[in-house]
Amino acid sequence: MTTLPPPTGGSPADTAEVAAAARPTTQAPHGGRRSAGPGQLSDIWRRYRRNRLALLGLGIVGLLVFLAIFEPFITPFSPFEQNLLNTTAPPSARHWFGTDVLGRDMFSAIIYGAKLAVIVGLATVAMSLLIGVVFGAIAGFRGGAVDSVIMRTTDVFLAFPLLVGAILVVRTFGAGVTPVIIALALFGWTTSARLMRGQTLALRESEYVEAARSIGATDRRIISRHILPNAIAPVLVYAFTNIGVVVVAMASLSFLGIGVPADIPEWGRLISQSAPFFQVPGKSHLWAFPALAICVTTLGFAFVADGLRDALDPKLRGRG
Amino acid sequence: MGMFILRRSGQAVLVVMGATLLVFIATFALGDPFASTGDRQVPPEIAAANRAQFGLDQPLPIQYVTYLGNLFTGDLGVDFDQRRPVIDMLAETVPNTVRLALVAILIDVIIGVVAGIIAAVKRYSFADVLVTVLSTLAIGVPVFVIGIVLVANLSGVGPFPTVPRSFTVEVPWYQEVLLPAFALAIIDAAFIARLMRGSMLEVLRSDYIRTARAKGLSERKVIGKHALRNSLIPVVTYIGVSLGVLLGGAIITETIFQYNGVGFLLFRAISGNNAPVISAVVVFGVLAYVLLSLLVDILYAFLDPRIRLN
Amino acid sequence: MRRTRAAWSATALTVVAGLVLAGCSQQSNTGAPDTGQPAVGFPETAPNPEQPGRPGGVFRLGSTEPTAIDPYNAQESEGIRVAEAIFTGLVEVQPDGAVTPGVASDWSANDNCSVWTFNLKPGTTFHNGETVDAASFKRGWERAAAKGSGSEVSYHLDVIQGYAEMQSGAATQLTGVDASNPDRLVVTLTKPDCEFELRTNHPVYSPVPTAVGATTDTAYTDAPIGNGPFRMDGKWQHNQGIRLVRFDDYTAGDKAFLDAVEITILPDANGAQLEYDGFNNGQFDWARMPPPLLAQARAANEPAGKWMSKKTNGINYFTVANTTAPLNSPEARKAISLAIDRNAIAQGVFQGAQSPATALVPPLFPEAYQDGVCEACRYDPAEAKRLAEQAGLTPGTELSLQFNTGGGHEEWTAAVRQQLETNLGLKVNYTGVPFTDLLNNEGAPGATGLFRSAWGADYPTPGNYLIPLLATSSIGAAPNEPVTGNNYGRYSNPQFDDLVARANASKDEAERNDLWKQAERIAIGQDLALIPLWARQQFRLVATDRFNNINMNFNENPTLEKISIK
Repeated sequence: MTTLPPPTGGSPADTAEVAAAARPTTQAPHGGRRSAGPGQLSDIWRRYRRNRLALLGLGIVGLLVFLAIFEPFITPFSPFEQNLLNTTAPPSARHWFGTDVLGRDMFSAIIYGAKLAVIVGLATVAMSLLIGVVFGAIAGFRGGAVDSVIMRTTDVFLAFPLLVGAILVVRTFGAGVTPVIIALALFGWTTSARLMRGQTLALRESEYVEAARSIGATDRRIISRHILPNAIAPVLVYAFTNIGVVVVAMASLSFLGIGVPADIPEWGRLISQSAPFFQVPGKSHLWAFPALAICVTTLGFAFVADGLRDALDPKLRGRG
Repeated sequence: MGMFILRRSGQAVLVVMGATLLVFIATFALGDPFASTGDRQVPPEIAAANRAQFGLDQPLPIQYVTYLGNLFTGDLGVDFDQRRPVIDMLAETVPNTVRLALVAILIDVIIGVVAGIIAAVKRYSFADVLVTVLSTLAIGVPVFVIGIVLVANLSGVGPFPTVPRSFTVEVPWYQEVLLPAFALAIIDAAFIARLMRGSMLEVLRSDYIRTARAKGLSERKVIGKHALRNSLIPVVTYIGVSLGVLLGGAIITETIFQYNGVGFLLFRAISGNNAPVISAVVVFGVLAYVLLSLLVDILYAFLDPRIRLN
Repeated sequence: MRRTRAAWSATALTVVAGLVLAGCSQQSNTGAPDTGQPAVGFPETAPNPEQPGRPGGVFRLGSTEPTAIDPYNAQESEGIRVAEAIFTGLVEVQPDGAVTPGVASDWSANDNCSVWTFNLKPGTTFHNGETVDAASFKRGWERAAAKGSGSEVSYHLDVIQGYAEMQSGAATQLTGVDASNPDRLVVTLTKPDCEFELRTNHPVYSPVPTAVGATTDTAYTDAPIGNGPFRMDGKWQHNQGIRLVRFDDYTAGDKAFLDAVEITILPDANGAQLEYDGFNNGQFDWARMPPPLLAQARAANEPAGKWMSKKTNGINYFTVANTTAPLNSPEARKAISLAIDRNAIAQGVFQGAQSPATALVPPLFPEAYQDGVCEACRYDPAEAKRLAEQAGLTPGTELSLQFNTGGGHEEWTAAVRQQLETNLGLKVNYTGVPFTDLLNNEGAPGATGLFRSAWGADYPTPGNYLIPLLATSSIGAAPNEPVTGNNYGRYSNPQFDDLVARANASKDEAERNDLWKQAERIAIGQDLALIPLWARQQFRLVATDRFNNINMNFNENPTLEKISIK
């Protein structure tokens, strides 16, 4: 299931804390050196669906995406509309999950939060992937001083606490969903870069890269045509795993009061706004539902990532 | 080997330098710390006088050079809020964080390693499934949710000290550290369990274990003596880096439990726009992380000579 | 300068959220409109009567970590709590607002209130035995006023002649303070102030002994030597606690009864919850509580007389940019004010912990308080709409609404936003920014719209509301420059300026109060230069079963010097 972590590369040590919450939960697979060609897709799916947890994960992720797309049609109320005469009401037939501190319908707010989670999760992962893959490929391909500079930079970002970095970004760009995405991506790209660099290093010396080089292909062409397609699979799997972590990281930032703007029903913010009610009897719906939503989401992505890894890498199949 | 250590140490120094620059920019971006106190604006003349007193009226590059120079001579300066030497604040909080980190790691290892071994040895058993499911679940729960639930339900129960109590009532540190350490350990333990299980399974399939079994060694001996030692390597690596991170301060956990460590100090400093404290804690954390990573790398290089060639 | 730590420290743990943006096929969440104006919140409780005491007892309470307890920089309620216990200034202010002698036995001003003479009680001493004389005061004031003292509150001394020179570093003495006679302190001001004696109640006006340490000497500032009814027992243990014991040789007033005061320092973020828990488990004798718990705490404790509720020194309001569109007419500002349902927010968001304001000057000053002087502070959406149309505040008009993040303001400002959008059809640009940015934004030339603001007087006088917030002189800048005073809305009305100037120069208290009232009627009743929202109200649980004479003073602290064990 899990393999040897590289010495310092992408330390997963501290997912417990937001300080590194944007770092990987699970190690990317070893040995996924060749990506699956299209012909192998059915093979992968066959292996994937044998894993029941992975199927459950796929179901959860599918549901999230569905909620994200159809959010305005599913929410019974506007997730933003307050009713100050009916705040912190417990779950009822009208408000299935009760109402929050502003009297907003919690069920609608949670669904809106799912949309936000999917958007921020995908955007952050895409952005960090882009940064990571570009820098990783350049570092691995060029080697030497370029490699050193890029790798030391990843070290700095890896060692730097996300919270402080995120505040810097949010203060620079102003509070909002986009700054949160930028902050998480800025401190989340390092592992993609390291993985990509490792893959590139290995492929650089391969025969077909040699061959391409001998017929005079440019570096850019070699990277984009020969190295990237063959190196991307494990990086992608890692990135996908990371979506769940990004969701937690965003919630953690909101919990500390740094994340998305105050009027957006984000899960972490729903929890933090209910902080004064943690010890008030009969008000646990205020934080329990968003907390549950975060857990389910993280699990969904984790299951999918596990299943995907096993399915992509037949060597690991059946090892758990 | 000497070259390797030298090279890695050089890299570590560069990383710390990079972090000082980053934190300097970050604290600058936080804005003017003297413009207001709490709810009020400070009269401009007084704010200006205070800025001058702390050297904030200098051009940025000069401020950075001064800051670096002070850092190298061990002068962490005076904080902006209470005007206390920052070194005193670190001295107050670092021991607490070290304790928290060590206790958390200890709990991690005990729970994680045992669970991982059981899961690997009794593969596909109920225990295995349970460990897999629980560890996955634990990884899915944000630490602040765990913290909230623990605080709400366990403070004042059993060995956990009452929160709050008068400061004249002494509570031994090991009682104070228990709850936050548990909150921190739950997620890490889940990781270690997964890591341990994976690496144990791999080792159990290896040839030398098969040989040992073929020689007729008891299963207990095979597992306890041969398999365990080798499968612990990745776990030890993980623990080393994890410790490095925890020493930098577990911001959320310490904040939720109001545990007086560097993470909570950092959180308060950020809320109060207290740049000298932010810089000091961040540099301390980066230093701890880098040093432990270095240590782990060196350890690894000893265990696996191939690494050195990289 | 007073502030509650809770304000910035609620930072992460009590945050909030908002509204807006109508969905597609959704039902309406709002119930029937709130037509009536039901009484909200919790009524004030009567003060505990003063009874003869006896020595003994330890009074325990929670606190957040103060910025400073040394008077040179004591600023928030928690820091002042210690500073005022270990120091006694020239005068004392009682919870009912009465000014009584402190170290000064009597005081008087010349005809235009520019020279003040304080006669000192002979033979009062510091905790180290040194005599308190006029020079002690001069020393203390100069210590705070000196260039490089690092004080953030020294500006309270700025009316004294020579302050500016000391700040600039040109002088090392306050030329306006004459201490040549040890028993008499003569103070010359740069401008007339007939309420100067009230100013001296601020801790920065405390005397200090010759053994005083530098303001940078933490060995001293963590264990200041004062002249108050209590003295430090050991030094301030940062983030842990502060212990005070009775000063047995206190002669500047009545000796304290309590043997000791134990202040346990709690984390800012959930300090109120911890104080409440501590009160319930018998650890504390005085406690705040989180707003959601107020109702149940009151129900459990009021019958036993352990519940305290008091409207205190403070107002929450919107600063309004008076000189820029769209709120540059009284009608526009009144329309905004009338469209805000303060009761619904007080009940729904604050759980009754805030009470809607109907005036700027709070009820703490009964002689100057005018309930309802802000006629537009009621909720009347129809009238709001009418005035809005009259003022050109048509549906779709953009209005900026800014608040500071991390202070627990996200929630109610979001509610205001929705009310303005619903009732007036405005397009509200709702922005949360860090506090410093908020100040910069509202003070900038050309600022528009509403800004979340709060104010508590530094000295117990209505003038400390009206002048800093509304006088032309408090703008301190030309229209194209950033505001340097506290009149961020740039309200300027010569008639108002004249009234407050006359009040400031009047030695007759009744006349003064009358002038304050007239001034408020103009600025608030007629012009609505700023929009009052909530009157500050404080709630405490107090151990009246064990102690007598517990009341809340001007700084929202227990009257430690009066409390006695039962």
